Amino acid sequence: MKDIAILYSFNTQKTSRAAKMIQESFGGKLKQVNVENITKEEFLAYENYILGVPTWFDGELPNYWDEFMPDLEEVNLKGKTFALYGAGDQVGYPENFVDAIGLLGKVIEERGGKLIGFTKNEGYTFENSKALRGDVFCGLPLDFENQARQAKPRIAAWVEQLKKEFK
Amino acid sequence: MSENKKYHIKRTDKETLRKWFYLMTLGRAIDNKAPNYLKQAIGWSYHAPYAGHDGIQLAIGQVFDKDTDHLFPYYRDMLTAISAGLTATETILNGISKATDLASGGRHMSNHFAKPEWNIHNVSSCTGNHTLHAVGVGRGMKRYNHKGVAISSQGESSVSEGYVYEAINGASNEQLPVLFVFQDNGYGISVPKKDQTANRKVANNFSGLKNLKIYHCNGKDVFDSMNTMEEAKQWIIENQQPAIVQANCVRMHSHSNSDRHELYRDEHERNYVIEYDPLEKYRRMLLRYERFTEEELQEIEKQVKDEVKKAHKEAMAAPDPDPESIFDFVSPEPYVSTKYPQGLHSGEGTPMKLIEGINETLKAEFRHNPDTYIWGQDIANKDKGGIFNVSKGMQQEFGIERVFNAPIAEDYIMGTANGMSRFKDNIRIVVEGAEFADYFWPAMEQYIESSHDYWRSNGAFAPNVTIRLASGGYIGGGLYHSQNIEGALASIPGVRIVYPSYADDAAGLLRTSMRSKGLTLFLEPKALYNDPVASAPVPDDFEVPFGKARVRREGSDLTIITYGNTTHMCMTVAKKLEEEEGVKAEVIDLRSLVPLDEETILASVKKTGKVLVVHEDKVFGGFGGEVASIITERAFEWLDGPVKRVGSTFTPVGFNRILEAAILPNVDKIYEAASDLVNY
Repeated sequence: MKDIAILYSFNTQKTSRAAKMIQESFGGKLKQVNVENITKEEFLAYENYILGVPTWFDGELPNYWDEFMPDLEEVNLKGKTFALYGAGDQVGYPENFVDAIGLLGKVIEERGGKLIGFTKNEGYTFENSKALRGDVFCGLPLDFENQARQAKPRIAAWVEQLKKEFK
Repeated sequence: MSENKKYHIKRTDKETLRKWFYLMTLGRAIDNKAPNYLKQAIGWSYHAPYAGHDGIQLAIGQVFDKDTDHLFPYYRDMLTAISAGLTATETILNGISKATDLASGGRHMSNHFAKPEWNIHNVSSCTGNHTLHAVGVGRGMKRYNHKGVAISSQGESSVSEGYVYEAINGASNEQLPVLFVFQDNGYGISVPKKDQTANRKVANNFSGLKNLKIYHCNGKDVFDSMNTMEEAKQWIIENQQPAIVQANCVRMHSHSNSDRHELYRDEHERNYVIEYDPLEKYRRMLLRYERFTEEELQEIEKQVKDEVKKAHKEAMAAPDPDPESIFDFVSPEPYVSTKYPQGLHSGEGTPMKLIEGINETLKAEFRHNPDTYIWGQDIANKDKGGIFNVSKGMQQEFGIERVFNAPIAEDYIMGTANGMSRFKDNIRIVVEGAEFADYFWPAMEQYIESSHDYWRSNGAFAPNVTIRLASGGYIGGGLYHSQNIEGALASIPGVRIVYPSYADDAAGLLRTSMRSKGLTLFLEPKALYNDPVASAPVPDDFEVPFGKARVRREGSDLTIITYGNTTHMCMTVAKKLEEEEGVKAEVIDLRSLVPLDEETILASVKKTGKVLVVHEDKVFGGFGGEVASIITERAFEWLDGPVKRVGSTFTPVGFNRILEAAILPNVDKIYEAASDLVNY
């Protein structure tokens, strides 16, 4: 398996906490990259990615991802593999649960990137999600507001899955 | 994604980006400065900061075209107004309520920005009530094949108001070019969205309506807002159907300067909404994608600072409103009759029923002015024309475009009348405000709103609307088919109230109402529609000016002042008094309550020295109390007895005829009171 970089905003709390758990599950082998103000060149430096993308407000990307979109929409991601995780609140915001995973995932695929790390929608209760494809999410939803205790086992299972899916 | 969109940080030309940054920086500078005016006791005592709504407000103003569109900004829409064309000086003039404030000359609350000349309308503080006006303007655009859009901007909590549903349902049903923008910051003052409705995406509450497109955008993002607003406007024009744009915003500060959001928002929330400052985000984008240098942005910021400084000086030097001006623009000057200045005629001709007088006059005025419209519940379906057939035959003659049914939504009937008359100055609208006057109460918020539009806009706009209502009892109608509402409404300035009792006066007052600017409440005593007692010859062109009472019977011993159904009872009583007691009673039919013909009243009182005021409405709190007070104040020396009143008991009107008779005034009750007074 090639090196994996984990990209997320270092200014975050829950997303950073999840990144730490993912890092631990990978035995500390992930390269940590702060996505705040990331340049196109810095972003393209890897082949395997784990991206932390929480959902803000009523289904939006966080501004640090949103502001990078104009660049991301232009780059060639062919041959690169991405796994996405993100926090959402299925009780407070059931109409757009982890939408940001779906929004970012769509752009990555449009630019030729490959998404892995899909997870079953079992155990969540919500109305709509742009991350949902049939009965799977195109990433790992985490709900620290309502299912905080499940974060750890979900991450552990997801990391095991990623270890198989990343090449 | 956004690569196909028109506006993009990498592709939008630099001049446009510069203009946006200038407007956003200017708006924010004034938004931040506004509280200082209050701290210094200069003004701006109501300020609802817009910070956090920057993207969508910029976009609303930018897509608005003053040559074709109408804009209804709400009280948080400072950047919308600036983006649509208000200058910094004009904005501050409104904030500190100066006489030269374009919106209202300091009459309306601060932070209600408008520029009537550009169709940026002065709206009420009643949240979202302008949705009905936007729909009315949309109806005007459709009727006159005008290519434009009416934009109603409002907070997401306003969608909880029933009239907002009425507006959107109506726009969907009539397929009107209206763009509803919901600026969603998650709060109605301190009330979170979850306490308003089950659906966070409140626009989706309307997803079941046909002919309506719903958009969602990030109202904090300039490009998403611009692209969505432009797409929505284009879609409306192409499809001639309404759309909703729900723009996700944050409220970075308290609701207004009288609110303290730290009482209900924790520090974390207050911090994260500030973190997503839309202006800061736009600035970062301009630098990140190298569209501007830091120096260039600082230069623009300096220009803004200079402009605000200059605007502040200009606004502070502007005149304050003149206290002498308070009586200006309460009601527009009415149509002046040259042929019938007293509202009297020779009395020749074949008598016509009251209902015929109204019907014939409506038709004559519709022939006279092609820009007349009538709508209401039950107004036109084949041979039926209104619940009492007052508008019979009108749809056949004038078509469904001018004579049409309204949904059972009284506020919609009233509010869209107000709105449509904003489209063109010579439009005259008649509404059957409700099936019966008793059902008019749901329209009360639009009635109030319409009553003060002219005053509030400092004479810039008056709704040219005649509200017809079938009123009163004597039909065994009970609590919801017998009410008189004039007593309750006469205390609201800005509306002329007329209540004829004969066919000729009904015709003459209706013609004057339909030719006048402003709002007239036209009350019809429905018990008299077909009663021969109310019949009279009606000259084809008869006109009755407002504020001219009619002496229906002359006398020297007693003055009876009345209107509506009781006029005829008073005539009977006067006749009986003369026949049985030799007493000559003068009967004055007021015809107009507002304005009131005080001179005719006082002249009669001076002649007779005794006054009986009679009306069908309740004595307690009824209009007769006002008449009696005026007489006591202005004609006390001429009085030879107390001013007495006869009217309904202070109860609802019962359904059983025995109850109705016990409650409403009649000939016997009037006769007894008159007789007592004569013998006082």
